[in-house]
Amino acid sequence: MALRRTEPSEDFVDRVLARVNQPPPPEPTWWERLAVLLRPPRLQWVAACIILSVMIPAGVQYRKEQRMRAEGEKAKEQLMFAVRVAGNRLHRVQQKVLEMGRMETRL
Amino acid sequence: MKILRILTICMLAGALGRGQVVDLKHLDRLAAKASETADVTLDGSLLKLAAKFLSADEPDQAKVKKLVAGLKGIYVRTFEFENEGEYTEADVASIRKQLQSPGWSRIVGVRSKKDSENAEVYLKTDGPDGGLAIICANPKELTVVSIVGKIDLDELSELGGSLGVPKIDLEKPKALNKKDHD
Repeated sequence: MALRRTEPSEDFVDRVLARVNQPPPPEPTWWERLAVLLRPPRLQWVAACIILSVMIPAGVQYRKEQRMRAEGEKAKEQLMFAVRVAGNRLHRVQQKVLEMGRMETRL
Repeated sequence: MKILRILTICMLAGALGRGQVVDLKHLDRLAAKASETADVTLDGSLLKLAAKFLSADEPDQAKVKKLVAGLKGIYVRTFEFENEGEYTEADVASIRKQLQSPGWSRIVGVRSKKDSENAEVYLKTDGPDGGLAIICANPKELTVVSIVGKIDLDELSELGGSLGVPKIDLEKPKALNKKDHD
């Protein structure tokens, strides 16, 4: 079925001109723009994005700190052990030197 | 090949001259023969990290923290063997040779016939870093300690006495193995 040509109503031109001559709508303020975001269902998306943008870096940071802490604790154990071994061996050497000194004095 | 060998010797001598690490890599093969092994490698960054985790409230840890404040590295290798003769004199001689480079001096050498134990303490006092090396060898045990940096020997010895014999609770050192760390 072909489209049929229809004439516009008589006031069509007046209505178009009136619309053209109307002042432009005022720019929305930042608050109005924000308010648009806070209307459902956008609000849910915005909330989800905010939560994710906070949670993901926080989670990454937490994991990093946990790993760092585990490494640090392990290194601390190693250090304590190393100092004990070094100190103990040195102590033993000193004891032996003292022992020898005492024996020589007796002789 | 000859050039490569000369370069290696020069690099090693240079490193030792600057108070760097005593090369203990050749001892790694002893781990396969040893019944118990402890291998601790704490270089600059790891040492700093470890020191951060030492508590100032715990007396022992506070002492260790103070002691290691100026250090740049601590390296310990301990091997316990089931039988005598599992390591050779050449293993120890290789370390001694490194410690004969300029700057190092042997401050103590103890040879005990009673318990067949030899112990040597080497100190590096010149240069900006300083260093300490301890070799303790008896027929069934070999311990080598290398410390890079200036350290108070009395404090270290005192800690060795007060912290007691490190029960070479060899379950622990095994867990502390460098390979595990990597």
